[in-house]
Amino acid sequence: MIMEAVYELLKAVSKEHFMENMVSIPLIQPVIDNLLNIPLVGYVVALILWKPMFALLIFPGLLTLMTVLLFIIWFERKLTARIQWRRGPLEILRWAGGIIQALADGLRYFFQEVIVHRDAHKPYFIQLPILIFIPVLLPLLFIPAGSIVGIKTPYALPVVVAIVSLIPVFIVAIGWASNSRFAYVGTIREAFMYFAYEIPFILSVVAMILVYGTADMTAIVEKQTIPGIILNPVAALVFFISTIMATSRLPFEIPEADQEIAFGPFVEYSGIMFGLVMTIAYEKMYILALLMSVLFLGGGNGFPIPLLGDLAPVIWMFLKTMAVMVALAFLRSIYARFRLDQALRLSWTTMLKISAVAVLIGAALNIAQVA
Amino acid sequence: MSEREGEREMLLDVPVEPPVEMFLPIPRRFLEDAYRNDDYIVLVGPQHPGSGHMRIILRIKGDIIVEAIPDPGYVHRSMEKLAENRLYIQNIPLMERPAIMDTGNVTLGYVRAIEQALGIEVPERAKYIRTVLAELSRIGTHLYDAGILAVFLGHTTGFMWPFALREPVIEAMTRISGTRITSSFIIPGGIRRDVPWETLEFVRRVTYVLERRLKGFEKIFIKNPSVIARLKDVGVLSKQEAIKFGVVGPFLRASGVEYDVRRVEPYEAYDSLNWDVPVADEGDSYSRFLVRVEEIFQSLSIIRQAINELRSIPEGNVISPDVLDGYEEASSDIRGYFYRVFGNLVLPYGEYTSLTEASRGTLLYSIISDGESNVPYRVRVVTPGWYYLKGFMESLRGERLADLQAIYGSFGYFPPEADR
Repeated sequence: MIMEAVYELLKAVSKEHFMENMVSIPLIQPVIDNLLNIPLVGYVVALILWKPMFALLIFPGLLTLMTVLLFIIWFERKLTARIQWRRGPLEILRWAGGIIQALADGLRYFFQEVIVHRDAHKPYFIQLPILIFIPVLLPLLFIPAGSIVGIKTPYALPVVVAIVSLIPVFIVAIGWASNSRFAYVGTIREAFMYFAYEIPFILSVVAMILVYGTADMTAIVEKQTIPGIILNPVAALVFFISTIMATSRLPFEIPEADQEIAFGPFVEYSGIMFGLVMTIAYEKMYILALLMSVLFLGGGNGFPIPLLGDLAPVIWMFLKTMAVMVALAFLRSIYARFRLDQALRLSWTTMLKISAVAVLIGAALNIAQVA
Repeated sequence: MSEREGEREMLLDVPVEPPVEMFLPIPRRFLEDAYRNDDYIVLVGPQHPGSGHMRIILRIKGDIIVEAIPDPGYVHRSMEKLAENRLYIQNIPLMERPAIMDTGNVTLGYVRAIEQALGIEVPERAKYIRTVLAELSRIGTHLYDAGILAVFLGHTTGFMWPFALREPVIEAMTRISGTRITSSFIIPGGIRRDVPWETLEFVRRVTYVLERRLKGFEKIFIKNPSVIARLKDVGVLSKQEAIKFGVVGPFLRASGVEYDVRRVEPYEAYDSLNWDVPVADEGDSYSRFLVRVEEIFQSLSIIRQAINELRSIPEGNVISPDVLDGYEEASSDIRGYFYRVFGNLVLPYGEYTSLTEASRGTLLYSIISDGESNVPYRVRVVTPGWYYLKGFMESLRGERLADLQAIYGSFGYFPPEADR
């Protein structure tokens, strides 16, 4: 009995098991084949190219996340600067236009003192910015790029939406643990905004589930011969506006309004802790952009590139995600900040109505398909 | 014990207690009353990203401001007291310090009080150049305030563009006076130097550049729906309230009162030029902003007209012969005439008052002279910021906490100017 279990385990972590389900890239296949024959290196290469591990480490996981974080913060600053007749980040790595500015800022945060003020709830104050990475990073496992996916399940979409909905709870907890007036006001604003965007957001996702008749993201991508944004543009609009609200970007940068409440829930953080909480919004933006590209833009669909094999959907999906993120970054230089009550009125009336319309369109399409 | 013991790094564990007794300029009763009524006291400032160097004590019920009490004075520089120990001419640079961009109007008020005392008539050419300088300052100040309003609303493009647009204005002032901001160019009896024709032509071209660029600013900020949503019907002051609380300048005109010192008691060249007084009826934050935007266009028109007039006035005579007092070499003695002419300036006995329309409103100077010393006995300065502080605080009542920044920006309140 035990021997059988050990045998199963060994089989599960064996190189052959990894090689059964491997990312195939015809362009560099000879190199990979050579590497696989080297004893230890071969094992590591097989592990990395094993599709679930590839999803975790390369795309949409760690490596892409880091690249996107570096790029989008730089790009947002550079774009805003260009619109505002400035130059933006330039001095660090001058020949590349200061593209590693975010990395330099991160390093600076590392060497700054982390101040924990007297009134803070110390354990929560220190733990929560790290714990929040669980709901922020977990959805990446469920998002497919072609055949590359971390965990393949028919309930991927509800799981991702549920986990993403957990993030504001952590932010509210952060504000509570900070125990400061500005953090308190910011926390209340965050809670209000959370309720306001959550219902239209979920309704737009439900509309798309109705359109495709499934919640399995791989199947959703396969069904999109016509992209979802054309099938149900109303749902796409609601999803986009909810994304702006959820990532608290202008014009809905209400919980963190720095001129009013000085970064709201995050006001008391300093050093690397601030670096961590600052990137949360960008990571959430990345996940929602991935979700948007899966639901509305056809995910990894695109014309196949034979030389790249399984990597082609990855590239298509990356490009679509970046397009969504760039559109989100562009908003910062156009809009002023709405007031909390104005944002709430917008989401509880107009957005709720049009999200109901989106669900109706989805239901109609669903009935049409069944018939 | 080794010799190096004394050099070792020591940990000093000094317990630092935050101050327990804090001074707040409000009665104890106010705090207790707020506590009993479940209200929230929020101190905005003095080191707050949105408030500048002023503290506003807010009593908040939920999200609504019940009462706002200002606590100004953090940048008080005792200008009035300092002025009592300086020569009349040395007070000019002192007076223009509080208002960053408003140098033209601020010095003009002080200098006109002195001219009134001495009974000097200013040469025609100097009058027009003073008008140009005052209007350039007005444009600069309004652009500065528009930028601050934009950053209060979180609109960073609306912050950067006016500050960039301010640069041509500053460049024009540099070419006229030699300094970017604090020019001290206006002196009793005229201006310091004549301005050559090329410079005036440059200033005229700057007005066209500004007009073109302001169109873009209008698209991205002034007509932006999110900006209108934030400013419209916020911080309303009715006509009666605005008069009662003593609001001045563009903020009074935004409430429907057509009062402009330039129109009521014209000084310099204003009565010979053709311009309008922009007035709005709503009295909300948006109209306070729009009135100032319209004033920028009026100022551009005034500058163009003044420069056109200057074409026909011969160059050279820019200081009144009365103040030169027979010192004929003044025009060639660039380094010496200032000391010779103004070093021993004594005003006759009495009190002399001048009203000026500075960018943010009425500016009052009152100089009291004892008739024998070469320093003023007393200089009273009341800046527009100080005048409309009461109206600003009253307009906060009943608004939301997030509106504080919008109303603050719409008034263009500038603590150094108000605190003097």
